[in-house]
Amino acid sequence: MIDSLILQQGSDWRAQAEVFDEIFFVFLALGTLVGTIVVAYTLWNVYKYRDDGSEPKEDFDAPEVGELPTGQGGPKAKKLFLSFGLSAIVVISLVVYAYGILLYVEDGPDANDDNIEITVEGYQYGWDYEYPNGHSETGEMIVPADTRIDITVTSRDVWHNFGSSELRIKSDAIPGDTNTNWFSVSSEEVQAQGGEATYTVECFELCGPGHSAMGGQITVIPEDEWEEWYEGTGNESNVEGAANVNGAAYGGVTA
Amino acid sequence: MSELPPTTSVKRWFVTTNHKDIGILYTITALFFLLFGGVLALLIRLQLWDPTSQILSGLAYNEAVTAHGLIMVFWFLSPFGFGFANYFVPLQIGADDLAFPRLNALSYWMYLFSGVLLGISFFQGGTLDAGWTMYAPLNIPMYTPSIGSTGAVLAVAVFTIGITASTVNFLTSIHHSRAEGMGIMDMPMFTWSILATAWMMLFAFAALLAVGLILASDRVLGSVYFSATEGGSLLWGHLFWFFGHPEVYIVFFPALGVMLELFQTFSGRRLVGRKWVIISICLISVQSFLVWMHHMFLTTINLEIKTLMMATTIGISLPFDLLVFSLIYTLMKGRIQFTTPFLFAFGALLLFILGGITGVFLGAIVLDYEFRGTYWVVAHFHYVMFGGATALFGGAYYWFPKVTGKMYDELLGKIHFVIFFISFNMVYFSMFLGWETPRRVFEYNPEFQIFHQFGTIGAFILGFSFFIMFYNFAKSYVSGEPAGDNPWDYSRTAEWAVSSPPPLENWPNRPSYASGKLEFVKDYVPDGGPAVKADGDGNAATDGGDTHEDHISKYPHWDKHPSHASIWPFALSLALGVMMLGLSGFSESLSFAVGESLAATTMTVSNPVYPILVVVGLVGLVWSGVKWGLEDFYAPPSEFAERWPFEGVEKVKLGMWFFLASDVIVFGAFLSAAIFVRYNAGWMTWEPLTESLPGLINTFVLITSSFTVILALVFAHRKSRQGVLASLGATIALGFTFLAIKMWEWHHEIFEVGVRLAQNPYGDPVQASIYYVTTGLHGIHVVIGLVIAIFLFVRTYQGHYLNDERPIEYFGLYWHFVDIVWVFIFPLFYLF
Repeated sequence: MIDSLILQQGSDWRAQAEVFDEIFFVFLALGTLVGTIVVAYTLWNVYKYRDDGSEPKEDFDAPEVGELPTGQGGPKAKKLFLSFGLSAIVVISLVVYAYGILLYVEDGPDANDDNIEITVEGYQYGWDYEYPNGHSETGEMIVPADTRIDITVTSRDVWHNFGSSELRIKSDAIPGDTNTNWFSVSSEEVQAQGGEATYTVECFELCGPGHSAMGGQITVIPEDEWEEWYEGTGNESNVEGAANVNGAAYGGVTA
Repeated sequence: MSELPPTTSVKRWFVTTNHKDIGILYTITALFFLLFGGVLALLIRLQLWDPTSQILSGLAYNEAVTAHGLIMVFWFLSPFGFGFANYFVPLQIGADDLAFPRLNALSYWMYLFSGVLLGISFFQGGTLDAGWTMYAPLNIPMYTPSIGSTGAVLAVAVFTIGITASTVNFLTSIHHSRAEGMGIMDMPMFTWSILATAWMMLFAFAALLAVGLILASDRVLGSVYFSATEGGSLLWGHLFWFFGHPEVYIVFFPALGVMLELFQTFSGRRLVGRKWVIISICLISVQSFLVWMHHMFLTTINLEIKTLMMATTIGISLPFDLLVFSLIYTLMKGRIQFTTPFLFAFGALLLFILGGITGVFLGAIVLDYEFRGTYWVVAHFHYVMFGGATALFGGAYYWFPKVTGKMYDELLGKIHFVIFFISFNMVYFSMFLGWETPRRVFEYNPEFQIFHQFGTIGAFILGFSFFIMFYNFAKSYVSGEPAGDNPWDYSRTAEWAVSSPPPLENWPNRPSYASGKLEFVKDYVPDGGPAVKADGDGNAATDGGDTHEDHISKYPHWDKHPSHASIWPFALSLALGVMMLGLSGFSESLSFAVGESLAATTMTVSNPVYPILVVVGLVGLVWSGVKWGLEDFYAPPSEFAERWPFEGVEKVKLGMWFFLASDVIVFGAFLSAAIFVRYNAGWMTWEPLTESLPGLINTFVLITSSFTVILALVFAHRKSRQGVLASLGATIALGFTFLAIKMWEWHHEIFEVGVRLAQNPYGDPVQASIYYVTTGLHGIHVVIGLVIAIFLFVRTYQGHYLNDERPIEYFGLYWHFVDIVWVFIFPLFYLF
């Protein structure tokens, strides 16, 4: 398990989805194990010590109405602390392990010149994306594969949350404030999805009557195709999405 | 004072101040809200049946989601637990009633009327649709414009005021009225958990009250706190979750207390590691205020703070581990009886274990990043909060025989449990399976439809299961077997030592634990004792001797019986409810056109109903407040009581201190808001809006008035009526001077400078809002203080307070507090 903490092997990086899947699996496995043991142990004892109508054992000391509590510690306190200590070790080691991964997720893979910074602005009910050259898109974010995409998330009206379940990224979009996040999709993944990988974007914070339908899409295409498309955007913003390289295919994001 | 009518009389239920009656009222009202919130939950579940079709519009769905959350958290969970607390805490600690019976009735009526306001809000153009977390700026009228949205916010505010009154009452009762010999560590675990709950409520609900007042100001008056881009959204997040996290434990602890009691009663074992359980409970109560930002891991708070909050979050899970293990080990070597109450308590433990484990997932920030805003969170908190409440249903079965004197039907109870437990897991476990669905969304990924449909079926079964309980209780109440005083084999606590239901004043004779167990001591003779009492304590009071620091000495006895009836709590709450109803539509029906001066300012009334309601409510509030003050209501503290750690503090004074402690948090939140927004705007970019001179003069005026209040107390001590009148009069005059200077200052700012509530010629409009709202809140405190001072002045003129100067002293505490607050406001708004 500790080996997996070595996150960056050489220049390789791991997508957030991959990181999440690992840590979720570890938590789920341990959580299920601990939960099963505790619940099974409890159920067994409840069954074992049921009142079956037989004579009480000699050491059974029935309480009486109006007695003050005695024996604040009790002989079982030792066992109590043993279980407490064990559970504390499990919980703390889990979190220390998770913290190592958090540091990676916060920083992301090493930045280099290829990074693309995109500003994401939420509004009732959709998303606008602004590229470094000033070009902007509504609804659909088109990005190249094998590139670290840095997003800056904000909102122009109420509090939203920009998130894609499949990419395992999520950021609060808070008016008057900017939040940052990153993601990256490998070209293998893009190839596997037929030369174009698409991911659904949803809003994860209640933002008004249209919240349910507040969607968007992230489309990842091979780097060279993207370069070609990006060249063509120039400085003109293209809110309607008509100048997409594959306009018909990408433009139809239903919000 | 009026006599308490019999239970068969409708009138009794409006005038009663008896803790058992009010406990019943709380419980029944809370169950009504369970149905109300439950129906909304079923609407939500129906909407989720099919991700493509919908039965509610997006707006209506959001209203259902919001009201469901608000009702279940505020109007069901806490009041249900506090219904039991009302009934059983005084019995468990050996008291006759709560410390302030009328205040207790007031809390209940405010709770009820706040719920009525929430109900009305549905018909005021739709209730709030911003979620129970009410994130800013969705919570301001620009995005949630209906009058009902404001109505719902004000309903929460009224509820919070009632809660504060209740908190003060419980803290004072538990710290001040424990029977002789019952040390604080000897208290039954249910009472212990209520004590910890009340301490958390004191501070947490004060923060909610503050943030609710700010929001009400934004919605009703038009200030711009939460629309400010200078941190307005995050301000809401911080203040709300500073309340919101302790709130989770506030709703869970009463249920935990029931579990701790029931595990002992139905296993015949005493709690394992009792001392450590109590320590854990205290630790959690403190730690609960140090974890709130884990609800905000995805906001822009920095990594260092996130790390700190992750550590405190894991820290708070540890005492919970200990509690769970203590509960499990308590059962071992016992003789466990699988009665309905035990099944519910035990079921609650199992559900809580699952809720706890899934909570550890959320504590790991990386996982929280993905779980944020999904059904994982929804499932988790239902397992914790509703799972906890499962124990409360166990409590309902457990205490039903005590309250009614009849036994419930065991078979029906067990059937209820089985159906409840299975359907509970159908509803909420399916949420874990479909966790990737975003919260509060009904157009979701069809992949998860199977889970949501399964959950919907479970929800209807879950809802149905409660009707088994209602039927059981109704049938048993009418024709159940007599339960006897103590139907349980291994009960320990004092409520089982009296008849079912207990008599009005609870005890045959004074309960005492001095010998190590409960005994009823015959030193209190209610009817035969006037001579004794008058000779003893009564004279001590009238002699004016200060030497007698006995807690009872200030209360003249003679032939008085404790009072149990007053209509004024009902009247006061009704008036407040009417006023708040008026305020909800206030800004819609009145508009001001600010002219060059006050005289040139015109007011247009488009709908007279709401303004009239405000006026009627306000008049009713003052009138019933005065009648309350004049009422001869006798609720003496017990003569022999354990009062650690407040042995030397008189009852009302202790209550006053608790109230002021909560008010410290209210002002603390307002000042923190001012500092937080200013920090976000750039601290040095703001200059004080006003001249410092008026503020400086006002500082001196208020400090002088604090001095004159002390003089009034001294004169009352010396029984000098003239002296009291003169110094109280001076206090009142100084108070009005303060208000006059304040009004001049506001007038000057509004009409000559142009600084208005949402308008600031110097820069950020929110700065003007903060200035008016913060100094305005302080001004309202001054006005309330003046109303009380005038009341005291008139009463002094009529000859009161010379033998008993406590009212003047307690007013003084309040007045000093208001002055001290000003000392913090002055530099922040006038100097820097």
